[in-house]
Amino acid sequence: MSSTSQKHKDFVSEPMGDKPVTALSGIGDTLAKRLEEQGFDKASVVLGQFLLLRKDMELFTDWLKDTAGANSRQAGSCALCLKEWCDAFL
Amino acid sequence: MASTQLTDEELFSQLKCFGFTPGPVTESTRPVYLKKLKKFREEQQQRGKGRGSSTTTSSSSSSTGASRPVRHDVRRLSSGRRPGLKSSVLGFSSDESDAEAPLKRKGLDHNKRANRNPHLQQQLKIKATAPPNEANKKLYGVGTALKSNSFPSPGGQTSPSLGWETGKRSRHDPESRDEDGSDEELQNSHSVNGRSAARLNTSQLAGEYSDSDEEEVGAPGGPDRDRRSLELRRICTTGPFPSHLDGRGSWVGTKNCAYNPLGNRSMLGGREGPEERVKKSDLDASGGSQSHMVPRKSVYGSLGEDHQSKSGENNHVNSEEGPFRSAGAARFGAGLRPRFPGSGSPAPASRGGYPNHSPVPNHLYGQKKNLAAPEDELLLQFKREGPASSGSFSAHYLSMFLLTAACLFFLLLGLVYIRMRGSGATGVDGVIKSHPFGSHFDSLYDQAEKDAILKLLLSLHDHLAVVAGHHDCGDQQFPNRSLSRNKVTEYLLAQNGEFKDFIDVALEWIIRASQDVGIRLTGRVADDPVTDVSEISWLESTHPRMPLGCRFRRALLTVMSKVALVAVAVGFIWSVVCYVKYRWRREEEETRQMYDLVERIIDVLRTHSEACQENRDLEPYLPIPHVRDSLVEVQDRKKMKKIWDRAVHYISSDESRIRTETQQIKGADFKVWRWIQPPLICDKSKGWQGKAFPLNRRNSPPNSLTPCLKIRNMFDPDMEVGDNWDLAIQEAILEKCSDNDGIVHISVDKSSKEGCVYVKCLSAEHSGKAFKALHGSWFDGKLVTVKYLRLDRYHQRFPQAQGCSTPLRASSLHQNITNTSPFLLQQGPPNASGFS
Repeated sequence: MSSTSQKHKDFVSEPMGDKPVTALSGIGDTLAKRLEEQGFDKASVVLGQFLLLRKDMELFTDWLKDTAGANSRQAGSCALCLKEWCDAFL
Repeated sequence: MASTQLTDEELFSQLKCFGFTPGPVTESTRPVYLKKLKKFREEQQQRGKGRGSSTTTSSSSSSTGASRPVRHDVRRLSSGRRPGLKSSVLGFSSDESDAEAPLKRKGLDHNKRANRNPHLQQQLKIKATAPPNEANKKLYGVGTALKSNSFPSPGGQTSPSLGWETGKRSRHDPESRDEDGSDEELQNSHSVNGRSAARLNTSQLAGEYSDSDEEEVGAPGGPDRDRRSLELRRICTTGPFPSHLDGRGSWVGTKNCAYNPLGNRSMLGGREGPEERVKKSDLDASGGSQSHMVPRKSVYGSLGEDHQSKSGENNHVNSEEGPFRSAGAARFGAGLRPRFPGSGSPAPASRGGYPNHSPVPNHLYGQKKNLAAPEDELLLQFKREGPASSGSFSAHYLSMFLLTAACLFFLLLGLVYIRMRGSGATGVDGVIKSHPFGSHFDSLYDQAEKDAILKLLLSLHDHLAVVAGHHDCGDQQFPNRSLSRNKVTEYLLAQNGEFKDFIDVALEWIIRASQDVGIRLTGRVADDPVTDVSEISWLESTHPRMPLGCRFRRALLTVMSKVALVAVAVGFIWSVVCYVKYRWRREEEETRQMYDLVERIIDVLRTHSEACQENRDLEPYLPIPHVRDSLVEVQDRKKMKKIWDRAVHYISSDESRIRTETQQIKGADFKVWRWIQPPLICDKSKGWQGKAFPLNRRNSPPNSLTPCLKIRNMFDPDMEVGDNWDLAIQEAILEKCSDNDGIVHISVDKSSKEGCVYVKCLSAEHSGKAFKALHGSWFDGKLVTVKYLRLDRYHQRFPQAQGCSTPLRASSLHQNITNTSPFLLQQGPPNASGFS
């Protein structure tokens, strides 16, 4: 199995549409709840934040850690997921 | 920093000052950018401090992670960076470092490099102090405290900007200036447009030289640095190069460091610089000490001066470096020459002052490297990789020399051979010195007589040899190979009057001689052995001596004929080999095609038999010609005929699943193929396979607790293939619980490792029934377990389940069941009475 999870693959394989934040790789229930509290209730909103940071993975991971209390692995996974999605669909 | 007082615009502009292009500063991005600004500022401060001291501890450099001596850091960093460098520049695979670093570096680099390009040198200082905020970035951050921490990685990005390059310079300079610890130098270097890059280069080179020795030379970073420095050098454009160099040279010359700065002369030599430097460093792996480098640098200086004459100043350098330089010059000439149009003029002038300027040229030379084009770094990297690059220049000359020597040798050999051949045999001309007449001869005559006789014989022999030789060569003057006795006598008398008396004696001795003296005597009748002097009528030489031209011609002819013979033989053998190979290849190709065809036939037959299974109208066999016509293209049929026949033969003999028969089809007899393998049972479909244990009071709750179930181990998410396997799972569950009409919601958790399925039933009763049906059953080889779930948790997780009240049926999963019995429909919200 490659190093990306099933969740990652599922997310990157199609336009995200209206998927919830839990669809993002690395974002589980807890993180999703925290993000939703901040107003990021859909994956697209998180994508918006990623794009605001000019698709900089480091900045995004920093942001995610600060905002949702993610650890490095989760934040990195999410950033990578979004980046790949952008590469594919943007 | 009173960052909280910054407005968005201020934050934005401050970030831009550091060479970073931020996105829009909004309420969500603000904190991130503030953090970044802080990091920038910290690094700036650190770099400022680090320059002065030599013990700046390594900051949170992730790759080094500790405050260590520069060398070690640099080494590790450089090694770590090298792959990144390569990968970002050339796409070479990295050998060892962490995979993250290159990724991050690349990502960040793009921003940084692009932004740094337009910046001018005056901003360099600032820029030099504005490293990327992370440790990784610090690696290649301009001007980070090199001594202690990350060895800056110039990254592979060759941004053709002076600013960047000077930034690098500043980065490296601190290293080189380790002992000096001169900040002002750095700043001066900043002011000098790109010139101080030379120092960078020198320092890098020094580092290379000392690298292997692990000496703290103050220039860590081995070949990687050199490469990078080379890249840097490439980037520089000429500009006001000489003037700067002069100023620099004088200034730097005062410094007592190993990296003698180069004057503008070495500008010339610097052209070859990078490559030679590279080679030099390769060659001088052991040269660790700085003092070591000085003589070398002087060499370079000399090379630099004499760049135009390729021979170089060999008097100053060893032969190696001469060719070295010229080869380097040759290589770089095309690319670099245009850059230094004015370089020629200073060269002669500098010649006189060479000894004084030996330190200076080195510096220039180093700077030269800076000026090389970015594309040359590619070349350099290749050279770096190839170990032969260092010796290539001298090797070139060496090979030329060897070649000429070999040619001369063979020429000599040929001449000697011709000489030999011309003479026809080993010359046996030593009659004078030693004669074949034996000691008896010596005793009979005294010295004078002996000499006379021998001289006579010698001249006779020579004359005869000449005659014979000319005759053999087809010279018309000598129609006869042998000379008659009279002629011989005449000739000898003409030679020397004294001979007269000795002629007969000599002839007699010739007869008496037991060995061949080179003269053959024949009597009146040819080929009669001569026993007496009186019988001699013809004299002939047995060792003809041909004129040179004739010899040469003959030799050439023989050689060429032999060579031609050999060539013909070789050609013949080679053609035979080629033919054999061609045939063999043809055979292989045909066999491959045949197998391919056989496989296709098998596929066709199999699919046909499967189709026959479903459709009973079809005959289970296929006629052979029809198969052929369906598989082979129309235009290929003739070509493939042979292969097809082989395939048919193969199938009939080696394929057990196909039987060849004769059948009547539409009135005509056909040979047909019948597929006789029974179809494999596809056991991929999910199925329930019985119960593992009976459910009794002990292993299940006495009464159903909630209407919600969590079923575990229904599937393995990694192993599932297909798009709708979750639907299949749901179907399976519904089938299993087909007697239970109370399931209203099923959700397959596709991402769960445990294979969980969540089921909600109308009431606890229904869920209990489902529990009994499912718990402990085998499904698809896995043991299924069921648990009760709390209703509110279930609703939390599946809010849409709250509204579900219609029972689900197998194979009608997505349809609203409207024809369920009214009794069910009227059921209210799930009965939570079972809750405890």
